[in-house]
Formats: sequence, structure tokens, C-alpha cells
Amino acid sequence: MASSLFPDPLQMWRDALARLENDANALAAGGMKSPELMRSLQHATTVGTGMQQVFEKMVEAYLRRAQLPSRKDLAEVMAALQRIEEKLDRLLPAQESAPRPARTRRPQAAAAAPAAAPEPAPPPARRAARAPAGKTAAARRTSKR
Amino acid sequence: MATQAAPARQDDPALAERLRLEVERAVQRSLKGIELLGAPPPTVGRTPKTSLHRRGTLELVHYHAVTDEVYRIPLLIVMAPTNKGYILDLAPGQSLIEFLLQRGYDVYMIDWHAPSPRERDLKIDDYALDFIPDCIRRVQQDSGEEDINLIGYCAGGMLSVIYQSLHADGPVRNLACFTTPVDFSRMELFRAMADEKSFDVDRFVEKNGIVPADFVAGGFEALRPASRVAGQIRLWDNLWNDQFVKGFRMMERWGNETLPLPGGYFRQTTQELLRRNALYEGTLRIGGRPVDLGHITVPLLHVVAQYDHIVPPACAAPLVQRVGSADKEEVVLPGGHVSIAAGPNAVKRMWPKLDAWLEGRSL
Repeated sequence: MASSLFPDPLQMWRDALARLENDANALAAGGMKSPELMRSLQHATTVGTGMQQVFEKMVEAYLRRAQLPSRKDLAEVMAALQRIEEKLDRLLPAQESAPRPARTRRPQAAAAAPAAAPEPAPPPARRAARAPAGKTAAARRTSKR
Repeated sequence: MATQAAPARQDDPALAERLRLEVERAVQRSLKGIELLGAPPPTVGRTPKTSLHRRGTLELVHYHAVTDEVYRIPLLIVMAPTNKGYILDLAPGQSLIEFLLQRGYDVYMIDWHAPSPRERDLKIDDYALDFIPDCIRRVQQDSGEEDINLIGYCAGGMLSVIYQSLHADGPVRNLACFTTPVDFSRMELFRAMADEKSFDVDRFVEKNGIVPADFVAGGFEALRPASRVAGQIRLWDNLWNDQFVKGFRMMERWGNETLPLPGGYFRQTTQELLRRNALYEGTLRIGGRPVDLGHITVPLLHVVAQYDHIVPPACAAPLVQRVGSADKEEVVLPGGHVSIAAGPNAVKRMWPKLDAWLEGRSL
């Protein structure tokens, strides 16, 4: 909508919002450096957290009395089920999976450039003990977990 | 006269078109606003991965390779314990994980879950001396490589540098950190919130055990209290824009899924780091051993966000100054604490820089 005759009111509003946000944040930051305000905020936070805990305990007590599970109980059951499923998956016979890619990648610039100068020798590769030949990557994963 | 009238006539169609557009957007806002009310949470973290190990709050995942060959040295990313790792894997095209996989890196990540009440006494010592070394060992076993490249984001970077200071001769070959705090005296607002005159951390931790996620999220929001409301207004303003809404909802979901913290970790962070600034002062002891950043001698890259309100540049700067590495680099890029790694501009700023630094150091 911007033009020499009609400034865009919506863009002006958006710019004003950004300025207001920055000013409000700066004001809050300045205020929070006041020890009295911080004490009040901490007190309010502690009271709020305490009230929330009391409320949660009351709800838990009610659900226990009514022999109903809470959301937290259900989430724990879901998490336990998930872990059991993962363990079952690991017990299944190892399926042939795609072999792991070779660890031979070079940077793209080095790969594209013709072999003009010899590359500096890489540091001696320290490799962990390898599994016996013939085992697939999936079998190694299954046996090591 | 005719000359003065001509510009107005040229502007009128543009003005009319713009008015039509705004009316259309207003209609779309209403329709999409109603859709939004019933929409399920956005899907995030879709890059295929395998969970290698899960132990309470800790999970180690391995992302599936997408290239025919990968760099020799695997990458292990350490997330901050306060947040989920999917911030680095929001969506196709907006995923650092996807980017690194496409560049041929073998990527693992230490991700976190809400700690159970049994884990209330976990401390920084457990993260730096148990979780990280255990995951490094598992990455070595899974990859068949002894060398590891470590990447730490925010508090994950802090845990990584603490680990590396205490394991200078260990298997880490290169260390990259994003927005990692060192000089906590520069976190003025967090220090004000943690001041012992107004906050009894011992009593708080004894009473709560696990620090609630709301409390942790509230601490971050208190740094910019007006931004949540402003963000909602901007969301309403841009409801007609599906891309904007999608990006907003993913970020909002991540912010809402801030994790609770073990009380021991929270107490130690408050007392040792925020109040005593022990990491910067060189007085931090982990596992009974002093943490000296000068013991870090591996190549280091530290990416700092220029407009970071959580870890200001002055808070992050001492990392590169203090390490004993000969090969070290600090890069200050435009962006905030989260957008530096996960925002739309990260694709053209931080990610290529990380790739350029890592590719020659992953052979």
C-alpha cells in the first residue's frame, strides 16, 4: 500500500508493534534489576508454584480415591510400553538392513580438484575393535545393546 | 494539472489491489484461525533415526545416513538439558541434522527427556563424567571409529567444554560450540533472578526435587516478557500465511516443551555458575577436579549470535580466549539464540560455516 501519497497504515502498525515490544522488554529488564521487584517476583513465583503443587496434589488425591489414573500415570504407562516394544524389536531376528556407508568421504572441493599437489597424510586413524567379518551392521547393533 | 493527476491515477490501481489483498487476508485470518483452534501439534523431528540407548533422562540417537559414503569421524551433538533436540530438526529444509546428513556426516545426538523423581540429584558432574563419556563410548562402538567430533549447543556446549577440559587426551578430535555461556556475570537478568537475597535455591530444590518445566520456561520468558504477547499478535496478523504459521507453531511447540531439570543440576548451576561464576573464574570443580578451559587443546569453533538475549556475546566470548587450542575460531553471526541454529537464515549463515569448518576435520 506504500506510495508517495498514502503511507501503508498496516506497515506502520507493525513497526509500532515491534517498537512497543522492544521498549516493553527493555523496561522490564531495567525493572528486574531492582532487588525489591525481584524479591516480589520470586515470592509470587514461589507462591504460584506452591499453589500449583497443592492443586496437583488435590487432583491426584481425588483420582486415587476415584480409582482413576492421572495423565501422568498414563504417560508413564505409554513410556513403559514403548520401552517394552523397543526391547521386543531387539529380540526379533536381525533383518538384513542396508549396509553402512563407507567412511571414505572427502570434502567436495578436494574431490573435484585434479590431483595437483599431494594431500597431507591424514593423522593415523585410531579404530575401535571391529566385529568379526561377515556380521551385518544390524547384527552388531543387536548384539551390543 | 494533468502532470499532478497522473501519479495519483498510477497509484490508485496499486492501492485498490492492496486493499483487495488486505480484505482477502482478513477473510483468510478468520477461516484459518478457526482451523488453527482444532489443529494437532505440528510434526517435528522427522529425519529417520535409531535410538541407540535410553537411560532415564538421557537418550542417544543415531540419524540414518543419506549418502553413499560418509566422513570418517562421526559427529556427536550435545543438546542443552533444558530443551528437546528437535529444534535442530524442525522440518525438511529447516533441519541442521538433514543438512549435515546430506553433506555426508555421520550424525549422533544426545537428546533429553523429562527427568524422573529418582533423578532429582543429578548434577553437572553426572552429565560431564557419566552421560557424555558413556555416549561417546557407544558412538565409538556403533561407528567402529575411536575419534569423535563433538558439537555442543548452549548448555550442551557448556557441558561439552567441561567434559573436554577434564578429558583433554580423550577421543574428541574437534569441538564446535554454538552460543555457549562461559562468563555468567554477563547474564545480568539471570543473576538478578538467582540472587540469594531473593531466591533460596536450597529450599526451592528441597521442596520440588525436580524443577518444574514451567519454572524453567518462565525464567527464559522473563528475559523478554513482552515477546509472547507480541508473538501472538504477529501470528494473528499472519494467519493467512501458511508458511509463517507453520514455522511459528513449530517454534512455539519447542518453547512449550521446555524440560524440567534435576534439582541437583539446577542448584549447582545457580550456585556455582550464576552466583560464583566459577567456570569463568576457574574455580569450578567437577568430580573433585578443577575445570580449566586452558586444558582444551583440540581445534575449536565457537559460533556466537550477535543478538542473543540469553547468552550475550560478552558471555560467550571468553571461550575462545581461554582455551589452549592453537586452532580456534570465533564466528559472530547475525541472529538470536535460537535462530542462529534453527531459523530460516541459519541455512545460509551458520550451517555452511559449520560445514566448511568440519569437512576438513572429519577425515
